Amino acid sequence: MNDKTLKGEPVERVVELSLPSKLGYERVAMDAASSLANRMGFHPDRVEALKTAIGEAVTNAIEHGNQHDEAMKVIVLLTAREGELIVNVEDEGKKILDHSMIAREPDIAPKYQPGHVDRGGWGIWLIRELMDEVQITTAPGGGNLVRMVIHLEK
Amino acid sequence: MLEDELTVSTRQREGVAIVDLMGDVTTFAEEKINQAYREVTTQGARQVLLNFRQNDSINSAGIAILIGIVTEVNRNQQKLAFSGLSQHFQKIFRMVGLAQYADIYQDEEEALKHLNSDPET
Repeated sequence: MNDKTLKGEPVERVVELSLPSKLGYERVAMDAASSLANRMGFHPDRVEALKTAIGEAVTNAIEHGNQHDEAMKVIVLLTAREGELIVNVEDEGKKILDHSMIAREPDIAPKYQPGHVDRGGWGIWLIRELMDEVQITTAPGGGNLVRMVIHLEK
Repeated sequence: MLEDELTVSTRQREGVAIVDLMGDVTTFAEEKINQAYREVTTQGARQVLLNFRQNDSINSAGIAILIGIVTEVNRNQQKLAFSGLSQHFQKIFRMVGLAQYADIYQDEEEALKHLNSDPET
């Protein structure tokens, strides 16, 4: 963990993870975020929400952004600031996410109909529901970047 | 090492087929859960209880698997219930609509008490 102290600025504690694009490694990010959030004093319910959100973001990066290419990395940046935790999840952009598709709300009822093929599509929606701020953009390096912020409630 | 830490087993108790899920429910869980469901259905189960462990995680792929089970349960005219979920995942199950198709109980004992007193089953 690096402590970045700028003159007059609050202290930031930054943890960076570099994960292979292999399903299962999202657990590593979930555990690291959970550990950090616990130390920051987040309520256990909020820690669970964070774990789910970061797990979905990393899984998305592995499956869609990096297309399961194990040579490609998913970079997770956890930035602890006073009163908030910022999580950046960046892939290498083998496939760029269609931002119009991921902005859609899932249509719940058809997913429960017999024969319906696509019962998924919950990931980004769950992230948006569980985190306080979410931005999905294309990173300067060309990959997909999911930026999530969770506030420490007083 | 990180791919698959889910163990699925089945048992019968008080007329209810219980599927115990020990570990995270992710994309790797699909075959195991579907196989366990097929097994208890073949054995004639009318009531199926998916019994989770409090500390385990369920992701969006796991939710999709469970929605698939719900559609099968409806097709086979069975009754489905969930137990052992943490408060967090109870909330998520309500958000994604799973709670509309299956009752959620705190633990196995509570589930069995209600399932056995349900006049519809």
